[in-house]
Amino acid sequence: MSTQAVVIEGLSKKFPSPSGFGEFAVIDALSLQISRGSFASIVGPSGCGKSTLLNIIAGIETYDSGEVRILTHDGGQSGPRISYVFQSPRLLNWLTVEDNIKFALEAHNIGRVGWDQQVKKYLEMVGLAGQARNFPLKLSGGMQQRVAIARALAIEPDILLMDEPFSHLDEITARKMRVDLMRILERAGPTILFVTHSLREAVFLSEEVYMMSVKPARIFKHLRVDIPRPREPEDPRLFDLEKDLIKEFFAMLEQDQQ
Amino acid sequence: MKLFRPDLLPGLLSAIGFLLLWKAVSLFFLPTFLPSPAELLARVVAIFSNPSAYLIISKTLQRVCAGLILSMIIGSAMGLVMGLRRSVGSFFDSWIMVLLTFPAISWAFLSVLWFGLSEVAPIFTVVLIVFPYVTINIWEGTKALDKELSEMAKVFRAQRLLRLRKVLIPQLMPYFFSSLRISFALSWKIALVSEAFGAGLGVGKELTYWFQSSRADMMLAWGTSFMVLMVLIDALILRPWETRVFSWRQIAST
Repeated sequence: MSTQAVVIEGLSKKFPSPSGFGEFAVIDALSLQISRGSFASIVGPSGCGKSTLLNIIAGIETYDSGEVRILTHDGGQSGPRISYVFQSPRLLNWLTVEDNIKFALEAHNIGRVGWDQQVKKYLEMVGLAGQARNFPLKLSGGMQQRVAIARALAIEPDILLMDEPFSHLDEITARKMRVDLMRILERAGPTILFVTHSLREAVFLSEEVYMMSVKPARIFKHLRVDIPRPREPEDPRLFDLEKDLIKEFFAMLEQDQQ
Repeated sequence: MKLFRPDLLPGLLSAIGFLLLWKAVSLFFLPTFLPSPAELLARVVAIFSNPSAYLIISKTLQRVCAGLILSMIIGSAMGLVMGLRRSVGSFFDSWIMVLLTFPAISWAFLSVLWFGLSEVAPIFTVVLIVFPYVTINIWEGTKALDKELSEMAKVFRAQRLLRLRKVLIPQLMPYFFSSLRISFALSWKIALVSEAFGAGLGVGKELTYWFQSSRADMMLAWGTSFMVLMVLIDALILRPWETRVFSWRQIAST
């Protein structure tokens, strides 16, 4: 686990301020490293710039200074493969489930020969092997999000970005999805950067947790979760970790206000 | 299947009422001025017992189809480009407005002056009047494109052609089909008017011929025949096509 997958150094991003005068920093001198194959979470309150950070890594948002490097599996022979699971599934509803996955494969110029095999493998992994020919609107919200996960995994990305992917689901479905995600990762093992506002979700899923402060977003705490997987959602050690982190977060907030 | 469907009753009553009223009014006039329903039907049968009727109708149908297809292609392409490139949009905006507001009847006369009694004249008239509607409709559609899906396509590095095929065009299909149905209805009406002024052979020409002979019954017979044909095309081709394209919309019944 020594090789890095993502290295971010001194990243800053400013937005024009809503009052119309000047700018404010959404992200200020942010640095972090994610090692290959690890699961890292970024936790922070709503509006702290987490999504902006993901969009910068995904290359759909610009930044003002600093450096973002995504290291590819083949040492930079090709461009980095980046996958994204959004809050909503963002599927192409007019394409069948398998064609949605093929869309990502085609976009990444992956040879047609392997498509069917790839589609089958990842649909099986997310437990939707029987739905390949169905249209997304016939599936439940949770199933649609599984398709989005299969699509993201199918291109075998250098980094998989997940932006609160379970926040639109009801809690029971979300809980099942988290457990399932754990199981899927045992088999697929991509590098994941997972953004959430829920500390419980972060400590349950991740090996590394980065906590972000608000305006400007800075990493104020980096924590390694050493509890072996698979984990139980009700593991008391996870609750303890969560409690400690919440305490620390509020301590940080008070410090900031002084 | 139930034989008695109460939901169909109002429609049935309205049709019977219409026929009765028509019959009653027609009693006061000569059959050549206002034929009764039965007399009209007899005229329609007479028209179709003459083989030349099929040639006349197929001529008109060809013009309607040519005009419609050209209008859909030009209009869709322009609307799409105008929507995706803002500069192109503002460039052609006023052109389209001019075309939309220009009196339709002038095109019918002008195209006869410019192209004479050729096949070009009616098609030209149809295209000039119909394609601006298609353009405006598709252009409106591009304003409702889902930004989240475009962002998804960008993150997955989808190339321009793939984005167009799988992300953008499918989102414009509802606008395409609403344009198609309106354009179809417009096209055949315009084609008939334009034929009345120009073309050598066609339903429009039949209408002027019978008009000059003061035969309202024959005009009505030609008009209804062609209308029935258009309704059939709509019901047997356009609607099933639309249903097929949008089959993905049927949400699970669970």
